[in-house]
Amino acid sequence: MPIDFSFTEDQELIRKAVKEWCERNLTLEKVREMDTKGEIPREIWKGLAELGVLLPTVPKEHGGAGVDWVTHCIIGEEIGYADITIATAAAFIVVEGAWGFTLDKYCSEEVREKYVKPAIRGEKFVGIATTEAGGGSDVAAFKTTAKKSGNEWIINGEKMYISGTEECKKYGGGYWILARTSPAPPEAPHRGMTAFFLPFDTPGVEITKRFEDCGRMAISTGGFKMEDVRLPDEYRLGEEGKGFYYTMEGFDNARLIIAASAMGVTQRVLEIGIDYIKQRKAFGWPIGKFEGISFELADLWTEMEATKALVYKTAWMNDLKYKGKFSAREVSKYISMCKLKAPHLALKACEKVMIWHGAYGYTKECPVEMGWRGVMSYCIGAEGAANIQRVVLVRELLGPDYVAYKKLKE
Amino acid sequence: MKIVVCAKYALDVAELKISSGKPVLEGARRKVSDIDKNAVEAAISIKEKYGGIIKVLCFGPISAKEGLKELLAMGADEAYLIEDPSEGMLDTAATVEALALAIQKMDGFDLILCGEATIDGYTSQVGPRLAERLKVPQITYVRSIKIDGNNVIAERDLEDVYQTVKVPMPLLITVTREINTPRIPNLMAILKASKKPITIWKIEDLGLSKDKLEQISSLHTLSLEGFTVERKRIIIKDKPVDEAVQELISYLLKEKVLGV
Repeated sequence: MPIDFSFTEDQELIRKAVKEWCERNLTLEKVREMDTKGEIPREIWKGLAELGVLLPTVPKEHGGAGVDWVTHCIIGEEIGYADITIATAAAFIVVEGAWGFTLDKYCSEEVREKYVKPAIRGEKFVGIATTEAGGGSDVAAFKTTAKKSGNEWIINGEKMYISGTEECKKYGGGYWILARTSPAPPEAPHRGMTAFFLPFDTPGVEITKRFEDCGRMAISTGGFKMEDVRLPDEYRLGEEGKGFYYTMEGFDNARLIIAASAMGVTQRVLEIGIDYIKQRKAFGWPIGKFEGISFELADLWTEMEATKALVYKTAWMNDLKYKGKFSAREVSKYISMCKLKAPHLALKACEKVMIWHGAYGYTKECPVEMGWRGVMSYCIGAEGAANIQRVVLVRELLGPDYVAYKKLKE
Repeated sequence: MKIVVCAKYALDVAELKISSGKPVLEGARRKVSDIDKNAVEAAISIKEKYGGIIKVLCFGPISAKEGLKELLAMGADEAYLIEDPSEGMLDTAATVEALALAIQKMDGFDLILCGEATIDGYTSQVGPRLAERLKVPQITYVRSIKIDGNNVIAERDLEDVYQTVKVPMPLLITVTREINTPRIPNLMAILKASKKPITIWKIEDLGLSKDKLEQISSLHTLSLEGFTVERKRIIIKDKPVDEAVQELISYLLKEKVLGV
C-alpha cells in the first residue's frame, strides 16, 4: 500500500496556523480595502514574515524554514483562500517564495546575505523580471544584454510587466533577470543567456512605467530599464550561459505555487457560492435547489478536487526532483498541467459564482468580482501563458519535433 | 516557576453537523478548546516574564496528540496525554481524578491554569473540582494575572464587577477568553515542536482502571439532541422610522428576544 494522501502533522499544523493568521489579518474586508487602495499594508508583509512563510523552502542553513514543496503549496493554497485577488499569494508566496528558493540555490553568499535573508525577514523584496516589451513567452528572444568588463557585467535592456516594482523601489530588494551574454546558434536561441540578480537601487536602473492593472490591485506591476548598469560578477546566478535553464527551473517552482494558490481561490469562491445559493430564494426555493445551479457546483467541486490531487501529486514529485528521483523534464510536464488547469478553473469558479449571485455578484459589495479580476492575471500569463504549458506538454507527449515553433526535420 | 496547563481536545462545535436532529459525532473535528489556549497563552506570558517550565496536560483521545503539538509549538515545554478509555463519556469528576493523579505524578507545581470552561461541555467544573481534589486555593474567571513574590494577584471578571484578589502559590486559576489573544505559532516553532516530548499515559499508569473511573463518574448522558437555528428573514421596509422601530420591537417581543 505505497500510496498515501495524508499530510504530516507538521503540515496540518502549518495549514492551521496560516488559516488562523489569515482569519485574523487577511479577512475579505481587509482584502477589499487592499484592492481599493492598491497596496498590501506593511503589517501584512511583516506579519507573513513573522509567521515564517516567506521563502519557506529556502534551506535552514541559509536562513529559511527548509520546508518541502508540499508545505509551500499548503501555504499558497491558504493565502489564496484568504486573499482571492491573489495579490498576496502572487507577491509573497509565488514571486518571493518560489523564485526566492531558486535564487538562493544559484546566488553567491553576498546576494544571500544582502537580499535572500532580508527577504525572509520581510525587509526586502525579491522578484522575477524576465518579460520584455516584445513578449514574455519567447524567453530566448529577449533583447537584454550583459557584457563582461573586468570583474563586472554591463547590462542594457528593458523589462516590462514586472510584479512588485513599486514595492521593490520603496523597501529595497531586487530582481532575477535574464540577459544574453553570448550569441546563440540559430537552432538553439536559448543558449548564451545568463541569469543575474539585479539590486533595484543599482545606478542605471530606472522605473519607466506603472501599469494600471485590471485586478490583483494590491501589488504593483511596472517596467524598468537598465542603462549601462554595472553588476559585480558576484551577482551572476550560477554558471555563465546557463541562465535559461535556471530560469525555467524557477518558472516551474513558481507555476506550482500559482496552481496551489489558485486552488485556494477556487475553494473560497465556491464556499461563498454555497452559502449564497442555500440562502437566496427564488420561486419559493433556495436557488441551490435548482439543478442549473447545483449541478454547476457539483461539476466545479469535482474539478477542484481532481486538480488539487494533481497539484499535490506534483508538489510531491517536485520534492523528489530535488532528491534526484524524478527528472526535471518529467516534473515540468506535471507542473505545466497544474498551471494549465488551476488558474482557469479558479476563473471559471469566480465567473459561475458571480452569475449565481445575480446583479449583486457584479457589484463590489460582493467579494467574488475581485477574485475574478485577480485570477485573470494567472490565466493570461504570470509565470507562463496557458499555450506555453500546452507546448511543454506537446513536447513531452509527442516529442520535441512536434513543438509548433520548431522546424520539422526533412 | 512550574506551571501546569490543563487542555481539552474538544469537539469543534462550530464545525459540528446536525443530521435528523442529532449531532454527528463520528468523524467530527476536534481542536484544543479555545479558552484552554488562553490558559496556555497566559502561562507563556508568565514564563516569558518570570522564567519556568510549562507542562500541558490532557485527558482525551490519542488523536489529542495533534492538539498538544500545537500547544508545544505555541511555547509549552512538555506535553502529557492521559488516554481516555471511554471516548469522552466520563463526567468531570472522573476527568478530574485522572488529571489530579497525573499532576501528582509530576514533580510539583506552583500554578495550574485551566480555561474557565470548555467549548463543548461548558460545565466550568474541571478547574474548581481539580483545585478541591488537590487541596489548593483557586481563583476563577481571571482576566489578568500578576506575580508578586510568592503570591498571585489576579483580577476576576464577575460580569458586573471586577474583583482583585491576592493568593499565595501553589494554586489553581481558571481564565476567561478576555485575558489575552492566544498566539499563532510560526513555521519554525511548529517544526521545533516535533522535538519536544509528549508523554502518553494509560489510566493504569496512574493506578486507575476503566471500572473505577466509571464508578466515580456519576453523570450519564441519556441522549444528545442538536438544533439548528433558522433566520426569520423578516424585512421591514417603506415605513416611517418610528413605525418601523415599533414593528421591530413587536417582533422581538414575540420572539422573546426582549422581555417586558
